[in-house]
Amino acid sequence: MSEYAHPEVLVSTDWVKENLGKDGIKIVEIDVDTQQYDVGHVPGAIGLNWETQLQNQVRRDIASKEEFEQMMRDVGISNDDTVILYGDNNNWFAAYGFWLFKLYGHKDVRLMNGGRNKWLNEDDKELVAERPSYAASNYTVSEVNNDLRALLPKVFEAQQGGHNLVDVRSPDEYTGKVIAPPGMSETAQRGGHIPGAANIPWSTTVQGDGTFKSLGDLKELYGSKGVDFAKPTIAYCRIGERSSHTWFVLKYLLGVKDVRNYDGSWTEYGNLIGAGIEK
Amino acid sequence: MNHQTRVYESVFEMLPTEENPSPIVRINRLNPEPDFRMYAKLEWQNPFGSVKDRAAWSLLSDLEARGELSAERGIVEPTSGNTGISLAGMASARGYKTRTIVPNKVPMEKKVMLKMAGADLDVVTDDLCPSPGMGDGSINLAKTYAKSQKSRYVMPNQYENEHNVNAHIRTTGPEIRRQTEGKITHLFTSLGTCGTVTGCATYLKEQNPDIKVYAVQPSEGHDVPGLRNVSQLDVSKLFNPDLIDEILEIDFELAYTRALELCQNEGLFAGPSSGLIFEGACQIASRDKNGFGVMIFCDSIFKYVSNMVKHIPELSEGTTPPNAK
Repeated sequence: MSEYAHPEVLVSTDWVKENLGKDGIKIVEIDVDTQQYDVGHVPGAIGLNWETQLQNQVRRDIASKEEFEQMMRDVGISNDDTVILYGDNNNWFAAYGFWLFKLYGHKDVRLMNGGRNKWLNEDDKELVAERPSYAASNYTVSEVNNDLRALLPKVFEAQQGGHNLVDVRSPDEYTGKVIAPPGMSETAQRGGHIPGAANIPWSTTVQGDGTFKSLGDLKELYGSKGVDFAKPTIAYCRIGERSSHTWFVLKYLLGVKDVRNYDGSWTEYGNLIGAGIEK
Repeated sequence: MNHQTRVYESVFEMLPTEENPSPIVRINRLNPEPDFRMYAKLEWQNPFGSVKDRAAWSLLSDLEARGELSAERGIVEPTSGNTGISLAGMASARGYKTRTIVPNKVPMEKKVMLKMAGADLDVVTDDLCPSPGMGDGSINLAKTYAKSQKSRYVMPNQYENEHNVNAHIRTTGPEIRRQTEGKITHLFTSLGTCGTVTGCATYLKEQNPDIKVYAVQPSEGHDVPGLRNVSQLDVSKLFNPDLIDEILEIDFELAYTRALELCQNEGLFAGPSSGLIFEGACQIASRDKNGFGVMIFCDSIFKYVSNMVKHIPELSEGTTPPNAK
């Protein structure tokens, strides 16, 4: 892991095991399938729900600064804590959580490489059903890094040139053969992709055990699809969770300076009036 | 126990063995090649309704023998239905609890049957965007129960447990050999956990290396419960491609239309996986012209009524009074 541009934001499952229960370290599980945490999780891990806690469904937006602050206070995370995130589906929503923590300026947040599945399949790693309880904190958000997020005007601007647009969905979603993975309720009116976007599925960045590919392999992957690491880059998917995974890869493993996650993603762009798409 | 009079002291005496095999029945009207005999092995005749009775009994017996089960510690298992139904039925009859984890796409009939057989049921979201290392949601949740609540659950894990394969080496293979008097030339199965194909092929090829083994797989993006496309097989440690002569990929919609044809022409109320196997067998029979084929018909159509209506909507026509509102 030391070869990456920012190796300090990635920890191994062994590191997590060695640091369980230590003061100043809070482990947080964020899953796509929220029942996984309820059945069993890393000892001491806090569970956050992406839908009800990390997002505001009424505004259709990420949790506001005040909501994020209150959530941190309630679960007992302090500003000085090292936060270790992990989750199912190779860290889809754990990466979304990472993006949100960084957006709200949390200093030390890291991702457990391989996520929940790697931990689950290692014999020396324990899971427990008991939920932890930590004293409430007085967390405060002092900076908001909106330059990590792409809102729609930025996406239009990127289409004028000088940017990389990376569509991380499956090839069938990119070509418009399907609008969303089967059974998904959040969808769009049209299938296809944002004009000019390259299709580099998020899953091509991980190995068989769910850990990230080597720096060399990642460079080759994105380079072969025409991504210029010197240019500002926007990643998107369907609702912004898989693209958080790619945002993490581009910004912290490959060291691309200006990378934004377009969390509106295809469920916003695919529904716009008057916006052209490609198939 | 008396297999002649069929009087049994417990349901477990009815489980299939070489002395009490599930029947094989010849295909007559739908056989495309008169010189290619086709027999279907009707696994729904097993007491809990499917081929999975064999693996389930093998897994349960092993757990009992190792002292892993008690009134307080039951079974947790991921299932597309049949293994869970067999395990739950057997476990309930022996005083153990069962928790089954199923993908959402499993038909409602199977979900309700699991509950009727005494299982607790967890339903997980289907795989959304598969990737290496992600595993299968139902397997992951079952492993989580087994790891986080060891005093309450043990997971036999049909995808990795050799007792699944051994069940077919011990029963299905010898039954087929005896029933066909060793004349079988072609075996047709599907792929799921791969216990059936690996066990039957191991036994039959030991007896006669010339026997050809054909596995059918539904086309990608399929909707045939219990089956896996080869691209989905990394979850099974029991898949051994060396034992399979050919894997036939078949349009999954044919699973449903062929199953209906078997109902309406042969009197065989076979489920969609049997329909898919039957289509594969017909293709090989038409190609090879001569042979003695046996098809493993995993279960009956009764558990798939909602799926049949979904894929053949005209089946629901005329099922309500003409003026019903």
